Amino acid sequence: MYPYLLFIGITTLMIGWIWGVLYAPEDFQQGNSYRIIFLHVPASIFAQTIYYFMSICALMHIVWRVKLAAYLIKSAAPIGAMITFIALFSGSIWGIPTWGTWWQWDARITSTLILFIMYLGILTLHGSFSNLEKADRLMSILVIVGVVNLPIIKKSVDWWSTLHQPASISTSGSSIDPSMLMPLLISIVGLGFTLISLGILSSRLYILNREKNKKWVLEHV
Amino acid sequence: MLRLIRTESFKLSRKLKSWLGPQLILVLVLIAFPLSIDISQYDLDKFYFSIIVISLMMTAFISTEGMFEEDFEDGSLEQEFLLEQDFYKIVLSKMLIYVFFIGIPIALIGSLFLITNGADFDDLPKVFSILCLSNILLFNLFSFGNALSIDKGAMLGVLTSLPLALPVIILLGRAVRTIQYGEGFFSIIILMSGISLIVLAIMPIVISAALKTHID
Repeated sequence: MYPYLLFIGITTLMIGWIWGVLYAPEDFQQGNSYRIIFLHVPASIFAQTIYYFMSICALMHIVWRVKLAAYLIKSAAPIGAMITFIALFSGSIWGIPTWGTWWQWDARITSTLILFIMYLGILTLHGSFSNLEKADRLMSILVIVGVVNLPIIKKSVDWWSTLHQPASISTSGSSIDPSMLMPLLISIVGLGFTLISLGILSSRLYILNREKNKKWVLEHV
Repeated sequence: MLRLIRTESFKLSRKLKSWLGPQLILVLVLIAFPLSIDISQYDLDKFYFSIIVISLMMTAFISTEGMFEEDFEDGSLEQEFLLEQDFYKIVLSKMLIYVFFIGIPIALIGSLFLITNGADFDDLPKVFSILCLSNILLFNLFSFGNALSIDKGAMLGVLTSLPLALPVIILLGRAVRTIQYGEGFFSIIILMSGISLIVLAIMPIVISAALKTHID
């Protein structure tokens, strides 16, 4: 299933990016530099979404001891780390023309950096134990505790008067012009499908690796 | 619970390096930092609180570094678990003892250093209470990191718990501003007290779950 999802994802993402980069109008204040939102905003959204997904899996693993949930966390964490890095990096590139600096110790940026370190910490913790069942459980505990960072990231722009702008898209509406909003939404959908397909591929490989001594794996491979 | 508190206080009092070491390290860092940068006393006054906050964070981590490791290695953690059938009380008593023997003295040291570096003497209770509360938070978070990594080294403990400690640092930064500008201190102290109580109630459960995983 994942090749189809990957195809849909990449195609949609390309449509969103081509539309956004080539056909969307220039911003009256930021000029062409704003076009990085078609990468930065979807990446930022999924940096947090993946952690939410991991926390639900962690809860399932801790409460109901669902082994697959731990496998999903382990598979999603590198993708989460990668997408958070992309969000930070693209934000940094955007910072130069708009703020005049690559980096600012702003609440939103710093809390996203913390999220990135959290992802790395989760991966390192899991990799430190040879007993994988123990590693799964400890990783799940850490993921659940790390959830406290998510509302901080989300609300950081409201709680602190920082350089980073507040959210432009919310449930009550959007402050972005429709000509820019449409390609942005398409990019978000495209990246979502791409990440889901990558997640499926990554978890498939991980499950096969973890269960490599099981009969069903030998039969399957 | 009382038995556990007595045991933990006895154990900690016998380990001089565990309770005296962090306090001495804090003193040394607070002395060394101003010496390492060529700044006027006027500039130092402005950001000495920040130096204390970071030093406190580092000291809190050093203090909790071997909190469970020795007990885990010599089997006493397992023994206590068999005796109590739960880690919650063990962790809570350990936490209270560590905060009492190490957290409060380092908060006092930090406050005194701040006063000697130009802060208003009237602010001493405010500074002390904020540092005490932040110590409760930091000790809980770092002991969580150490419970996760238990015998895998301090580096892993830092990596897992430091991201969680950074919001505490942000909160402390806000507390510093309220003291410096003399406004909104009451609301921040209420907020920090509330968070400390929640953390003190919940974190031992989480740490217990991590320790149980190691024992299993």
